[in-house]
Amino acid sequence: MSKIEKKSIDLAVLETLKKAQDDNVKTCWDRLEAQGPQCGFGQLGVCCTVCSMGPCRIDPFGEGAQTGVCGADADTITARNLARKIAVGASAHSDHGRDVALTLALLAQKHAHADKSAHSHGYEILDPEKLKKLASEFGIDITKSQEEIVKELSKKLLEEFGKQEGELNFTKRAPEKRRQIWKKLNIIPRGIDREVVELLHTTTMGVDNDYKNIINNGMRCALSDGWGGSMIATDVQDVILGSPQPIRGKVNLGVLKENYVNIVVHGHEPILSEMTVKAASDSELLKLAKSLGAQGINLAGICCTANEVLMRHGIPVAGNFLQQELAIVTGAVELMMVDVQCIMPALKEVASCYHTKLVTTSSKARFPGVTHVEFEVHDAYETAKKIIKIGVENFANRKKDRVNIPKHEMDLVAGFTKEVIFNMLGGRYRASYRPLNEAIIAGKIRGLAGVVGCNNPKVQHDYFHTALVKELIKNDVLVLQTGCAAIACAKQGLLIPEAAKTYAGKGLQEICEAVGIPPVLHLGSCVDNSRILTAASRIIEEGGLGEDLSDIPAAGCAPEWMSEKAITIGFYFVASGVYTIFGGGPFSVLGSQNVTDYLTKGLESVVGGRFEFCDDPLKMAELMIAHIDKKRAALKLKTTC
Amino acid sequence: MKQYLIIGNSAAGISAVEAIRKDDKSSKVTVVSDEEGQAYCRCLISYYLAGDVRADKIFYRPESFYRENNVQLFSNKRVTGIDVKKNLVTCADNSQLNYDSLLISTGASAIVPDVKGINQKGVFVFRTINDAKGIESSLPGVKTACVLGGGLVGLKAAYALRKRKLDVKIIVKSKQILSQMLDNVAAGLVQKRLESYGIEVIIGQDAAEIIGDGKVKAVKLTDNKEIQCSLVVAGRGVSPNIDLAKAAGIKVNKGIIADSALRTSAANIFCAGDVSETYDLALGDFAVNALWTMAVEQGKASGMNMSGGKVDYPGSIGMNATEFFSLPIVSLGINKIKEGAQGYEQSQTLDAKNSIYKKIILKGNFLVGAVLIGNIKNSGVLLRLIRERINVSLFKDELLDENFGFARIIDSVKERERIYV
Amino acid sequence: MKQLYYKIKKCLGCKSCEIVCAVAHSASGDLFKALKEEVLSLPRKKVSFAKGNNYPLSCRHCQEPKCVDACMAAALKYDTEKKLVVHDKTRCVGCWMCIMSCPYGAIWPDAKVKIPLRCDKCQDKEEPSCLKACPTGAVAWEEV
Repeated sequence: MSKIEKKSIDLAVLETLKKAQDDNVKTCWDRLEAQGPQCGFGQLGVCCTVCSMGPCRIDPFGEGAQTGVCGADADTITARNLARKIAVGASAHSDHGRDVALTLALLAQKHAHADKSAHSHGYEILDPEKLKKLASEFGIDITKSQEEIVKELSKKLLEEFGKQEGELNFTKRAPEKRRQIWKKLNIIPRGIDREVVELLHTTTMGVDNDYKNIINNGMRCALSDGWGGSMIATDVQDVILGSPQPIRGKVNLGVLKENYVNIVVHGHEPILSEMTVKAASDSELLKLAKSLGAQGINLAGICCTANEVLMRHGIPVAGNFLQQELAIVTGAVELMMVDVQCIMPALKEVASCYHTKLVTTSSKARFPGVTHVEFEVHDAYETAKKIIKIGVENFANRKKDRVNIPKHEMDLVAGFTKEVIFNMLGGRYRASYRPLNEAIIAGKIRGLAGVVGCNNPKVQHDYFHTALVKELIKNDVLVLQTGCAAIACAKQGLLIPEAAKTYAGKGLQEICEAVGIPPVLHLGSCVDNSRILTAASRIIEEGGLGEDLSDIPAAGCAPEWMSEKAITIGFYFVASGVYTIFGGGPFSVLGSQNVTDYLTKGLESVVGGRFEFCDDPLKMAELMIAHIDKKRAALKLKTTC
Repeated sequence: MKQYLIIGNSAAGISAVEAIRKDDKSSKVTVVSDEEGQAYCRCLISYYLAGDVRADKIFYRPESFYRENNVQLFSNKRVTGIDVKKNLVTCADNSQLNYDSLLISTGASAIVPDVKGINQKGVFVFRTINDAKGIESSLPGVKTACVLGGGLVGLKAAYALRKRKLDVKIIVKSKQILSQMLDNVAAGLVQKRLESYGIEVIIGQDAAEIIGDGKVKAVKLTDNKEIQCSLVVAGRGVSPNIDLAKAAGIKVNKGIIADSALRTSAANIFCAGDVSETYDLALGDFAVNALWTMAVEQGKASGMNMSGGKVDYPGSIGMNATEFFSLPIVSLGINKIKEGAQGYEQSQTLDAKNSIYKKIILKGNFLVGAVLIGNIKNSGVLLRLIRERINVSLFKDELLDENFGFARIIDSVKERERIYV
Repeated sequence: MKQLYYKIKKCLGCKSCEIVCAVAHSASGDLFKALKEEVLSLPRKKVSFAKGNNYPLSCRHCQEPKCVDACMAAALKYDTEKKLVVHDKTRCVGCWMCIMSCPYGAIWPDAKVKIPLRCDKCQDKEEPSCLKACPTGAVAWEEV
């Protein structure tokens, strides 16, 4: 690997990358180099593998073939390819949401049957208040018993997936003006599964050739994620696992502990890892750990599973997406337990270079030859215990001379949900969005920015996230974060209240200090981007900042994106009226000028939001601030200092 | 020390010098030319006139060429006679030059049409840089120009004058333009292109008279119509400059007859370039193929043979490549099957909307000609098939394919270069 | 002197070499930017196919180059030291004689700019860009 020092701004990463090199372990940065240069047809999105008359490619230089065998041109091909990614991204979040809804259904069962075996899963309704709120949104009589409510709500929620007609219930959370835009375009999602299936249908050979129609249908599918699957995942997780509250935690590879059994949870679904948290303090397991010479069991997380257990339990975060391999490279991880999404297939190979046991838990995500402990919801606690036991026993195999945990770790505060934002700003006794709206109207807060998304080895790890966010808060933009983006900024010390003083502009600093919040708020995992949508709807509801989501002085950005899920998130934000920038490489559509223009220009007059592709974080900040100022001007708000 | 003498200072002459000097650094090499100064790219005169090429880019070799190659250059010196017995040439200024080995690369001259009133101010031929400069200096005040002849020279002159914003009319005697190079379909596409850029093409007419008072005023056509113009460019083709050879008793036909070593009927006299008549690979007969490329190849081969080499010159081929207003044209070998000719077959594809035309002519399993308009990719591969007489039976029905190229003929070529491992 | 060779058994016809070639010869050197440049950079090599094999093709830089003989504008020269056919853009008039005379069909017209396109073995770089572009290692860069 060339120029390690350019790979990341995170010193823990650089140290560990050097160790990886010394240990002769290949990581994604090496593999990226081995891939280079990557296929230009793929990058431009003009390769079509839809049918077996192909694969066809459009010559981006205009010399060779300009249509595939079937006659599809660059517009159709890039739009179809993009639509397929939207469908996949939506399917990931929505399937996650489905599993959470199924867990809720299991709780209903428990209450129905109350037999002993069902108890062993260990779940409770930890936020009964939210349960009621949610139930009333679905028109359920909340005077009924909790058992009844859970039963009815889980039924209704599961119906959202299989619904054929009508509208997804959560789309009612959106302001009326926004709903009218969707209705006019006919993109209100009808059923979560239907939108994914229908979008995929339209992209098969010989169906939709109108790139605008393909993208509009893509937006409907994306909305079924943001205002459907993801929202269900978020809200029901809050019901079952408890709504997060601001909580202090620690982040970066330094959270791994030298003399402890280190168990890392990685992936996206918190249902099992929640039990892992419980099981990590199981006296039987602790005893076993101590008998093997460990001082205890240390649980840490990677990616969004980390975000989930962080914001509910303060479990430390070992790192974001690009640190999953590096956690193992420290030589100090006894076991890495993975569920679904963003789990690099390379983990198997990396783990095999150390003593780390990799354990898969989902039948959806298995590795050949890797220990699999199937997660059964009804037996969750025992499953978690079983897995941790494997890790504890593996402590004996740790090779001390191969252990090198970087010393870097940072404090952070996480757990700002949409409810918490207004609780905090409004104060305990004045729970309302009014103060937030007023701060924006007064210009103390210039606007809001959602900075979300992944890491991508194609850009310097964490640099885009942190450079952008620093610039935004310097300009009084309150930043809301989720996923790996939040972890990136947390590692650089931006998610502590003290960061306001160091980095934020005067207005934002004043607000942060008055309320005691960081200038960058951690809202959770990537399904929790739905929290941003709900929060934005509440802002409109509160009044004074326009009638539609697109009126709010706000912008979105995924500076280091890589996943299909990010594309879908981007689309539900844009379709909800948000100006959204993607960095670290554009969508694979640049092979079609029409599609590129539609995404980056045309959509604004259609849905109020549009995409921007930009590969410079400072320029991104400039663009976002300019957009925020444009929206402020439209609302006739005073310009900020 | 051997004395080489080369008559002519253009493509063939220069290439011969380079070939001689490759093997023989010490002998005396003398070049005589009736043109002025260093050799220039004759084919660029139309680009020069059009304003596409600057005067300083027109020279074929740098000024230092003659010094570096130890060549004595006599320019502005016309050879008037060859004494093949005494190995001596006489010049117009009565000076004499002797030789051990002589190359006649006297080229060709523009044909001045035999039309009433041709010798007036404002009438030009278009062969040398001086012709181009003459036309250029006459341009101020000229609004309309008539070009006599629809051959390549005429068309190139017309193109250049059109680029100089003149009204240009081409008067073509035959039924089509570029009749030496193209068939009527291809010619039609080219004509359309010329017309769409504002050049008027008058087919089937000839200049009956050039009207003027010592200065051109109009061209009268055979149908008595008069075209007002103050500039006439005669592009009626060229004739090989064979008089010198003929007077010396060297065997000539249309050109000087060259054997496969490019030797003339006189043992120590060679010929090359536009003046030579060589074996034509496509026709299977002798022909004058007056083309820059041929001149270079022949100059090279003759130079090598003059300096003691034994190079076999396989033959020439009538071909050309050019472009008019973004329409590329390539013509190779035989461009139309002569009426009554036996054993030929042709096939073609035409996309008139996009001005793309491709035609091939086969004789048995051998390609003997091709015309390409609009898309000239891989024309070199077709030329190779003609030149090397490659049996095309394995890919005969693929020759017109868009993707037909070297990959398809790789198993049939004689010399197997190392490209693929 | 090194020359480009192609291992046809390894070539999958992905044309990555074509794209990288075009980008390497663009002003920006970046794919996305290259497509927006005023003068579009085009590939100097092409992959064609015949009888189930793919054949990448680029200028062979022949020692007796037909294209140089054919060049009526003296824009082409054979550099005996570098063993390279060198093209002087400032002299080229786009007459296409070189394309007509190339026995490999390894020169292509850039119709817009009126310049023939041919492999220059990436003279300004350490090695030809296509070498690393090939995902299967079908491009070889070896001594003649």
